[in-house]
This record gives sequence, structure tokens and C-alpha cells, in this order.
Amino acid sequence: MAADAPATVSAPPATGSDVGRTVAELDLSRVWLVDPFAGREGAADLVVRGGRVQAVTWLDGPDADGVDPDGVIVAPGFIDLHVHLREPGNEDAETVASGLAAAAHGGFTTVCAMPNTDPALDDPGVLARVRAAAATSGSPVELLLYGAVTMGRDGDRLAALGELADAGVVGFSDDGAPVGSATILRNALMYAGMAGLPIVDHAEDSTATEGAEANDGLVATVLGLRGWPAAAEISAVARDLAILVDVVRDVPAARLHLTHLSTAGALDLVRRAKAAGLPVTCDVTPHHLGLTDEWLAGARRWAWDASGDPWGDGAIESAPYSTTVRVNPPLRAPQDAAAVLTALADGTADALATDHAPHTEVDKAVEFGLAANGISGVETALGVLLAAVDAGRLSLGRAIAALTSGPAIILGGRSRRATGLVEGAPADLVVFDRSDRWTPTAETIRSRGKNSPWLGRPLAGRVLLTVADGRVAYEAPEGDSAQA
Amino acid sequence: MNPAAPDVAREPTATEAAPAIPAVDAAPEPQSIPWRHRHVLDVDVLTADDLDLVMRTTDAMREVLERPIAKVPALRGRNVTILFYEASTRTRVSFEVAAKNLSADVVNIAASTSSVTKGESLVDTIRTVEALGAQMLVMRHSVSGAPYLAAEVFGGSVLNGGDGWHAHPTQALLDLYTMRQELPGGSVEGRKVVILGDVLHSRVARSNIWSLTAAGADVWLCGPSTLLRGFEAWAARGAAASRRFHVTSSIDDALRDADVVMALRIQRERMASGLLPSLREYAARFGLTRQRLAAAKPDALVMHPGPMNEGVEIAPDVAVSAQSRITDQVTNGVAVRMALLYLLAGVAEGRGTVDGR
Repeated sequence: MAADAPATVSAPPATGSDVGRTVAELDLSRVWLVDPFAGREGAADLVVRGGRVQAVTWLDGPDADGVDPDGVIVAPGFIDLHVHLREPGNEDAETVASGLAAAAHGGFTTVCAMPNTDPALDDPGVLARVRAAAATSGSPVELLLYGAVTMGRDGDRLAALGELADAGVVGFSDDGAPVGSATILRNALMYAGMAGLPIVDHAEDSTATEGAEANDGLVATVLGLRGWPAAAEISAVARDLAILVDVVRDVPAARLHLTHLSTAGALDLVRRAKAAGLPVTCDVTPHHLGLTDEWLAGARRWAWDASGDPWGDGAIESAPYSTTVRVNPPLRAPQDAAAVLTALADGTADALATDHAPHTEVDKAVEFGLAANGISGVETALGVLLAAVDAGRLSLGRAIAALTSGPAIILGGRSRRATGLVEGAPADLVVFDRSDRWTPTAETIRSRGKNSPWLGRPLAGRVLLTVADGRVAYEAPEGDSAQA
Repeated sequence: MNPAAPDVAREPTATEAAPAIPAVDAAPEPQSIPWRHRHVLDVDVLTADDLDLVMRTTDAMREVLERPIAKVPALRGRNVTILFYEASTRTRVSFEVAAKNLSADVVNIAASTSSVTKGESLVDTIRTVEALGAQMLVMRHSVSGAPYLAAEVFGGSVLNGGDGWHAHPTQALLDLYTMRQELPGGSVEGRKVVILGDVLHSRVARSNIWSLTAAGADVWLCGPSTLLRGFEAWAARGAAASRRFHVTSSIDDALRDADVVMALRIQRERMASGLLPSLREYAARFGLTRQRLAAAKPDALVMHPGPMNEGVEIAPDVAVSAQSRITDQVTNGVAVRMALLYLLAGVAEGRGTVDGR
């Protein structure tokens, strides 16, 4: 191919009804390939035949001329360690099928669903039901499941961790709530350690957050919202790590994963614990690195542009108290958001996880203080990370690693696919156009949960194609671009 | 937060912004500063000029109130619906009297008697009252920010009668009016105004911070540290990042040479979460007594938004002393609410939506 020719994505024309179809022929020519598993990014050609990666050819010299990371990018399929799919129990907000479709639209080919369904995923029967829903959906996106730590997530009685491990869960979590009891946490870490599975803790000292509505700080003070202190997360992380120190003496295979960390203090503790060799990992969310509590006041600027006092510099452009930015943990002050981004950049945070939390309008179109916590975020994660890259706060390679190899390492061998673009293996990849923008709207997002602060706000990085397990998971319709 | 920009289709002319009140010879003078706000949800968006306009309009309403028949036809045929989700007597009655003095049709809805108890959402309730003819909505709610949700769905004007801990704009404006009326020189500029008590849970305190700092007062917040949580950081930055104020738990520092002392109500439930050991301890340390008041200027004004816990945050003899302006606050409250209803009605006419033109 001639130098300076545009990237091409060549595949037989397809329609939305082709989801699930095996990708017979796909030629990705002169694209920017980012493969964190291989530790490499650059110009490449990639050929898929019969659903399998046939050839990955890195281009160099004149062949690579004109191929740059600002155009069409190909990466291994993204992995989300933290989504809520709401089935069973709250199918108005999301189903397994709609959640997997949303994931594919966001470029994800593997998602790990939290067990706070109704009933909770605390026994293998519920697990079988969710897996059946995934199979029925026809989506090739891989659905992995966490089991509950305690029965019915009641915090008191250990769930059937061994049976759930045998049934194939990838870890245990009472997410939505912390494992409140230090004794239960210790026992769960030890017991799950026998299977080499992590306890995924939502670290929060609930005694410090009763009735809390917004990050404890200037915005909460001015808006008259009940403060949600950073200390509630930091002290819970300190407790969890102290327990882990004890546990690994008895059970070296025990592992702790801290999800959606949102504070500088908690991330510092993890940084030190990792340096000391503790088996701890953590993830951060797009909204905690990209947004701040200023959004509650009606500001609409990225965290790296925020001052923390939107009344002081005229940043308020929307009505305050939007429930789309009510989330647990809450959006924090700019210095915390900066610490979250730094942690992702320096590897303290192993992965980006969306905490995709779809809700119905009934649960969100209410007074701020009565609204459900959560952001529907699996479709906008890439756009938020690319905004951080564009702002010079994160490298493209690190952003993609946080969506691929980072979470893959935490899953170990429990994802069948998390291997990168290996010749001969089933294709598991995402193709997106970094130069193209798209606008999330209630119509364009696939999730049933329309509770996104990014509705109506264009994001970079339109996903063109998501291939999971050699099959089409998502393919952009023609003319789906925000750019004229 | 910024209702000015998108809500006004065009700049109203002076005559539209200040429609004469028929039969009132002292109608508000034609305004050089038009009222730009469709709703009054918080004080933070009101400029010094806005405050001035409210004060001048309130002057005219005070004159109406002093007449033998305190009634003008300014809002005749308009439906003012008063929707209160929280128990209140004085504020609700004050709004009702204000609207009736302007000849509005008043509909009163109290949460306990409405369909709220059947689980109807706020959005549904707002749509329903609008369908029943509400053109202006006065709303009180226990959740901070609720009036913003109402304003999003309501076609007319929303006037916040108090939301959670957040804002109580009419109280702050009547406080400012009372101070300007009673202070020598008719201005709060440079005057030391002390807000004493449970600042954390107080929408009155928050709204007064905005209005008093905008008007140039030297604002001091005083109370137990647990009830000032978060305000030190705000004070250090200042309202709108420039209008600094003071925060202290030393009542002696706060009251020294004060021009105005406003005590806030202490609620019994504050003891439950460990914010205060006891009301007795609070009264002993922060209660506004005659001895404490002696540290303030000799003619310092004593104010209270009510209802009072006499003997707790304020001593009974202080509440009825010659320095007390508590009953003036109540009277001025009616005038301020008349002024705001009048100004909002002017905006509605200017937009040509409420009366169908």
C-alpha cells in the first residue's frame, strides 16, 4: 500500500442484525495498533480470517509513513472489571442483553458483573440464571461474574464461596456496600484465598457516610448537601490493608482488590502497600478522574480544568443538583480527581473500571437527596480516557493498558480471551476512530440506563467495530458520526 | 443556577419591567435595571443591582401595607400556588398574605394533605398543579435543590420558600431589608453582622452569606465547631471567590462591636448525631443573653428568623428588648414577598407566556 494512504477497514457490509456473526474476513490496513499485551504500539496491518487473527504485521520505514495515533486505532477488546447489569431483579434499568450490547458499543469484549442483583448472586443457581440470559442474548461479549461475599449481601453470613468458586466466579464482592465487619472480611479473604480469588471491596466506613450526598467540601457546603468525607474511604482502605497484612501470613494466595477508589489518601495507601509487596490491586473509574464535585454545582468542565470553586470563576453553566452526577463514591474535589488520574498513569491503579450503574428515570428524575447513586458509564469510558490523553495527562498506551492488560492481569486465567492479538487465536478487538466524535444521547446509548452526565456532550473516539471471540459484537451504523 | 440567560427572550423595556401598580401612587419608579430572573431559587445569582431593585420594590410594598386597605390589583387573575412539603406556619402565611395583598388567586397545598403521601413524585405533582392553573409556584421542600427540579418542569415562575439546608432567599432578602431600614445610614456596607448558631443546617445562613456579602457587610458566622463544618474553607475563599467572611467559635470575638446579631434556631435532633452534648450546654455557651449582647454596639439590632426556642439560642428578655427587630422582620417579610411576586410577574409578562400573549 502506498505511503500516506488512509487507514482502511475492509469487511463485507453488515447490519446491526449481524451481531454474533463470525467475522469471516476483516482487513485492517495502515491502522495504529496498540497492543499492551505485546508492549508495543505503532503502524500495523491486521488480518482476520474465519474469526481468527491470521496476521499482525507491524509496519516500519516508509510503509508506516502517515499512520499516526490520531486516526483509526485498533486495540485488544476492552475488559471492564466492574459493571452492574441489574438482572435479575431490576430489568427496567438494565438486562444482561442490553448491558452486553452497551458494553460492545463501548469497545468492551469482557465485562465482570457485580452480584448486587435481586436476588443477590450468592449461590450457583442465580449464577446459572444470569449465564443463561447471556447465552440467550446472542452477544459474543464475555460475561464474568462475581459472587457475593455474604448471604444476600447482609454483611453477616459468609456466602457459599467454595461452591461459587467451583461454578466459575472471578471473585467476591458485596459492592454497593462495603464488607462492614472486619471479622467477615478477614475470613472471606482467607477462604477465597484457597481458590486464589480476590475479595473486591467497596471501601467505605458507613458510619461516616450516613445520609451523605456529596463530597465533603466547598460544593457540599454551599449547596447544603450532607458531606461525604474522603476519610470514610481512606480509613476503610487502611483497615482492609491492615487485615490483608495479617491474612497473607496464613494464606499467601489471599488477594484484595479495591474498586472505584476516589481519593488521594486511599491511593497513597495502596501505592505504599504495593511497594511493600502486599497482594493488593485496585481500579478507578472514568468519572472520578474526569469529573469533580463542581458538576453538582452546574459546572461542566473536565477535572483538569477545574478550580474547585465554580462560583468564583464563572464556570457554572447548568442548573445545580443534577442527579446524573450523584454517585457512590461521590465525585470529589479537583485534587482528588488529579490523584486518581496520576494513579492510573503511574500504575498504582491497575485498571480502569466503569462501575456502570444504570438506573431508570423513576429512580433519577427525583430530588437530588432521594436519587439513586450511579452513572451509566460503559459506553463513555473510552471517550473520557481519550479526553485525558488529549489534555496531555495520560499516554495513549497507558490508557489502553488500563482497559486491557491491566484488568487481564487481575483476572489471571479466568478470562478466556484476555491475551491480546495473538496470531491463530480468536479475534478480540476494538476499532475506533480517535479523530471522530460522537454524541451520547438517550437514543445513541444502548444501555437502558440513560443516567449519563455526558448526554448531549460530544466525546472523542467513536467505536467503529467491536469483535469478541471472533464474532461481531458491535458495528457502527453508517453516518453515526457527530462530525459533519 | 443561572436562570437569567436562557429565560428571557428579550430585554424588557423599562415600562414592561415595571408595570405600574394601578391605584398605587407610589408605584416602583421606572427601573434602569430590569429584573432578569424568571425564578428565584437562590441568592447566589442576584447581583448588587438586583438586590437594590428588590429593596426599592419592597419600599413601595411597605407603603401599600401601611394603607387602610392593604390591597392592590397587581396580580389580579394570577394563580399563585403555595406548595409546602415541610411544616411551616409563618413563611407559608407570609406568602399567602403577600399574594392576596396583590389580589392573586391563592392555592395552598400542604404535603400532609396532598398526594405526596401516596408516593406521587415531585415531577408529577408539579405537572399536576400546573395543569390545575398554577402560574407562580412558591415551594418549600426538605431536600436541598428540590426547587431546581421543579423549575425544570414548571412552565411559570418558581419562588423558593426554603429548600433543605440550601437556600431561603426571601428570608435573606427580608433580613437585608430590615437591616437597611434600621441601621443608621440605611446600608449594611461595612457593618458587622453576626449569624449565631446552627449554621451547618441553616438555609437562612447560607442565603444570608450571599446577600450580605454582596451588599458589603462584614459577615461573621459563630457557633460550636460541629455546626460550622465546612464553612471555614468557604469563608477563606469567599463567596464568589472574593467576598470573604469570618468563621469563629468564640462568641466574644463574634459579638464584639457587632452592628447586627442574628440568632438561628437550634433543633433538638442535633443531639442525636453527637453534634451537641445538650441544649443546656449550648444555651450556656452560645445563647444570646443580655450580658453577651453588651459586647456588641449599644444599639445593635437583634434578629431571628423564627420560630424561636426562647431560653436556648436567645434569652426571652433579649427577644422582646428594644433592640429586637424580630416583629419588623415578620412585617417586612410580607413586603419582600410581595415585591418578588410582583417582579416575577413582570418577567412573566415580558416573556408573554403566562398570560398567553
